[in-house]
Amino acid sequence: MNPIISARGLSKRYGRTLAVDHIDLEIPAGRIVGLIGPNGAGKTTVMKAILGLTTFEGELEVLGLNPASRRAELMQNVCFIADVAVLPRWISVWQLIELTGQLHARFCKDTCLKYLAKTKISQQHKVKQLSKGMVAQLHLALVMAIDVQLLVLDEPTLGLDIIYRKQFYSSLLNDYFDDQKTILITTHQVEEVEHILTDLIFINNGKVALDCGMDEVENNYVELMVAPANAAAARQLGPLNERELFGRHIFLYRGLKRELLEDLGELRTPSVADLFVATLSGEPS
Amino acid sequence: MKRILALLRREFWENKGAFRTTPMAIGGVCIALMLMAIFTTIHIDNELYTFKQAMRLLARQPAETMVTHLHQTMIGISIVFTVVMSFVVFFYLLGALYDDRKDRSILFWKSMPASDLQTVASKLLSAMVVVPLIFWTVLIITQILMIITASVMVLSVGENPWTLFLSHLNPLGPWFMVLCSYLAASIWFLPFYGWLLLVSAFAPRIPLLFAVIPPVVVALLQLWIDFLRTFTFNNSLFGIIGEWVANSPVIISIQIQGGQETLALGIPYTSSFDHALTIGNILDRLFSLQMAGGLAVAAVFLAGAVWLRRRATDS
Repeated sequence: MNPIISARGLSKRYGRTLAVDHIDLEIPAGRIVGLIGPNGAGKTTVMKAILGLTTFEGELEVLGLNPASRRAELMQNVCFIADVAVLPRWISVWQLIELTGQLHARFCKDTCLKYLAKTKISQQHKVKQLSKGMVAQLHLALVMAIDVQLLVLDEPTLGLDIIYRKQFYSSLLNDYFDDQKTILITTHQVEEVEHILTDLIFINNGKVALDCGMDEVENNYVELMVAPANAAAARQLGPLNERELFGRHIFLYRGLKRELLEDLGELRTPSVADLFVATLSGEPS
Repeated sequence: MKRILALLRREFWENKGAFRTTPMAIGGVCIALMLMAIFTTIHIDNELYTFKQAMRLLARQPAETMVTHLHQTMIGISIVFTVVMSFVVFFYLLGALYDDRKDRSILFWKSMPASDLQTVASKLLSAMVVVPLIFWTVLIITQILMIITASVMVLSVGENPWTLFLSHLNPLGPWFMVLCSYLAASIWFLPFYGWLLLVSAFAPRIPLLFAVIPPVVVALLQLWIDFLRTFTFNNSLFGIIGEWVANSPVIISIQIQGGQETLALGIPYTSSFDHALTIGNILDRLFSLQMAGGLAVAAVFLAGAVWLRRRATDS
């Protein structure tokens, strides 16, 4: 099956700075991919290129189309939420639902109303009367009601309370996602999405720093927690990264057999956040 | 087609205040001013009369004078509608591709499967067709209400509105002409509309300045160069724009009474007034060489607007 997104040598230059530096990507169908990176790493630029919102150099195909020239066609099968609430402020909720229904063949009004029923938003509300979090809820309800092949979420839960965030991610996984769909998420709140992700892409300085499945993370990376007495021994095994927590030392290793480490201390699979910090802080010294 | 209709609906919803409330407010003010005449005095030939006296006086006037008064009132109203409408269209087009860039909602609109060409087309069609149709409809409703109100007022002082003025009135032709002239003007002014949309798609801020300053600078330069050459003021961009507006197929009626000429934008309500505009000369203008040149200019501006819209994001 053809990949949903495939990029080769994707680059984007703003003046003299290379915001995206020859990125290669291949994302197949049926994945939930986390695009993680520090501020200014080029995540949003990559997403904009994928959504046809910016010009770029290199090759990029989304659902077999070049997004730069065929955005409108692409949007029949792609949905996205940009980094902050961007719903027009003058519109009222019922108008927004009407319009989306008329513009989007794959929009299901009942599904949208079902999601809205879980919020305090009424159809008579205007967007400008809603709080930031409620606007995000409204946008998510709209997007979840559109049955598309690719959903792109850029910081979708910014401004939402923790209860709604959890609800959202669980309905995203349980009600929305299936093996025909692909979801691409960026967020700084990695802990909240890591349990639903199937794949991870780290981006730093416009380059892909890591691109692997979550199962590979489990197989290849291990975190070891040791008492200070064992720290020197652990350090010799060449960890990617070391940190201290409540007087204990925590080391992160790549491609090391767990049996080698078992005697030194406690083992666990690292969180995405820890893996991210370790990957970006570079190779062991 | 369905998408275009949805987008037109969006434009109407977004600009309900300008598109619908504005003409309704003008109509309301016209009727209110008319009703106020009942309670105040009326000024005719430097004498003040009460409403009742004025009605009796009017009733004794010859039919021709009655019709003149009526005509002036109706023309006055249609001028207000036409002028306000031109302001509404001007500012609407100026903001049409700017506002959603400013408030970043462009990112939402671009997530919808509507092409940028369709989006620009929906804005142009709103200005060319939707706004004139709404203003025209409200104008007619206003005039009907005013005729009814006038009849009731005349009846209340014991005069017969039919013999007094209703029988002299034949508004269907003028109403039709107004509609034709509005729609013809929409085509005639396409180069202006195209320019406004281009500026709206381009301006980083304050589109009004970007719309006005370049033509003014060009015109002043032309004036200056021309003046140095010939010591006359001719053929600048100002001249071209002025001539274009003067040639527009917006209804202009000319009243000739006792050798005096009155030029007015408005509706020729009775046959005693000549009007410069017929369907024939509307068509003459729309199929002129001048119009063809104007359409070419409009096409360039509009293509630029679509091109810019395609590249526009929030930043």
